[in-house]
Amino acid sequence: MTLTIDNLRAYYISSGREVRAVDDVSLTVQTNEIYGIAGESSSGKTTLIKTIAGAARPPLRIHSGSIRFDFPNRTVAMQTATETELAEIRWKHLSYVMQGSMNVLNPVRRVRHSFIDFAYRHIGGAMPDFFTTIKDHLQRLQLQPEVLDAYPHELSGGMRQRVAIALATVCRPDFIIADEPTTALDVVVQKSVLTLIRDVQRALGSSMLFVTHDMAVHANLCDRLGIMYAGRLVEEGRTADLFRSPTHPYTRHLIASLPRIGAMATAPNLAGSPPNLANPPPGCRFHPRCPLAIARCREDVPAMVQTGDGHRVACFVTAP
Amino acid sequence: MLRRNREFVIGVTLLTIVLAIAASSIFAPYPSNDTFVVPPDVPPSWAYPLGTTSRGQDVYWQLSAAIRNTLLFGFTVALISRCLSLAIGLTAGYLGGFIDRVLMSINDTFIVIPLFPILVLFYFVMRDHMSWFLLALVMACLGWSYDARLIRSVALSLRAREFTDTARFSGMTTTQILLREHLPYVLPIVFSTTMNNINWSIGLEVTLSVLGFTNIDTPTIGVMIYWANQHTAMVAGIWWWIAFPVGLVAITFIGLFLLAVSMNEYIDPRSRLSRLRT
Repeated sequence: MTLTIDNLRAYYISSGREVRAVDDVSLTVQTNEIYGIAGESSSGKTTLIKTIAGAARPPLRIHSGSIRFDFPNRTVAMQTATETELAEIRWKHLSYVMQGSMNVLNPVRRVRHSFIDFAYRHIGGAMPDFFTTIKDHLQRLQLQPEVLDAYPHELSGGMRQRVAIALATVCRPDFIIADEPTTALDVVVQKSVLTLIRDVQRALGSSMLFVTHDMAVHANLCDRLGIMYAGRLVEEGRTADLFRSPTHPYTRHLIASLPRIGAMATAPNLAGSPPNLANPPPGCRFHPRCPLAIARCREDVPAMVQTGDGHRVACFVTAP
Repeated sequence: MLRRNREFVIGVTLLTIVLAIAASSIFAPYPSNDTFVVPPDVPPSWAYPLGTTSRGQDVYWQLSAAIRNTLLFGFTVALISRCLSLAIGLTAGYLGGFIDRVLMSINDTFIVIPLFPILVLFYFVMRDHMSWFLLALVMACLGWSYDARLIRSVALSLRAREFTDTARFSGMTTTQILLREHLPYVLPIVFSTTMNNINWSIGLEVTLSVLGFTNIDTPTIGVMIYWANQHTAMVAGIWWWIAFPVGLVAITFIGLFLLAVSMNEYIDPRSRLSRLRT
């Protein structure tokens, strides 16, 4: 089960205005791998994820490029897939833990009904068998079967999050997309939820695309990491390599800004803010804030260059 | 709820009395349209607790048949108009865009239409075919618009919630999302506006009937007052023919109103809180 994205561009187009939220992104997610996407707010993470999941709705449109899922027995190209094709793979093969996943449960219906509404059509069979499957799965996520009869507001944030993850993984999907699934949780609960996500992913043998702005989460969870800045992928590599030897100036600053135990000095601050994607700067989008920028950065767009084993960087200065 | 909320208790009590009177109509000794079955113009007495009319009918039995028909009328209008407003409000709010604009411009047209002249005009057009159910249908078609707007506003916010996105992603169809995910959310709101809608339709029906703009062969509270006026009951001093139906319909109004108010308070946590503070 692999995901291949080639030169994907996804724009928000409304009344003549064009916001280039995802611009020329290429990446691959291998079988049984957790691929993390990092970047600050408004760097196009969620847009990328939505497009990949086939959940893009106007004004968001795929401008060009391709998204290909290679499932064990079929290949689906997201940019051309029909609604029926999508309906067949969604949830069963491809599931999506949405941003704010604590709220995926309908507040006025019992958890049991959310499972019936969202998952039953994909599993089928007799109702008692269906609930046996669900209870087994809940057990795996350390949830009591009693949560099925609760209303969402009766559960704690961590429990709701785990129910949301249970809901997304109950059909044993080949590919899981998770968009900031733990952002609203405190660190203790976050840790246990992340461990659970990892265990479930290992147990199911799924591939996973994991998005968050929290670098600590990435360091703990992901096999490989892609760094996004202003709608573009700027660096990609194995998590350990990326933390040990970041190459792109943006990644360097991102890693340097992380708090360290025992550090007394204030982390360095990068002047400026991410560009407006409706009117991005020419050339490398990071050049207005980049301390290493040279004349070429203002004119040409750097391509992703292989710099080491599985490490790719888009920068004229640090990876010529 | 029965213990804490005085409005609710009074509302339920009043409505129970009204419903009991309406239910007693099945024990009526003679059909409600028969005339001169008892001596006319007898004031309230032991034999005839609420007196008799100038048309020789017992006011109590006439009243019980009338309030039954009036309530039935209110419920029918509310039921049909609720179905309309739910269907239109949820669809417009969820689908948005062009469909929303079309549905809401129809909706706004209905909001600004002057109801009373339309209903009177309708009576003059349909005169001979005017029936109880036809009037209910017409009033339902005129009475859904305010609630459709209210429901649409809730549906608009539901559309942007995560559980709607998840439902769509899991492959639920639009109809399924509306019926299984959004309908349970708006039902409590609809429940409280239903009371107001019943009140509104009964009020309008009584007004039309008193003026004789409905089918006067079906006894309702309005028709009863209409006959009393035809026989100049006020001038003749037959006050019980007018006072009891007016009193009963007033009790119905107050009961429904109190129920709607207390329901609102129960549903809206903010007003419940402000109640607790005072």
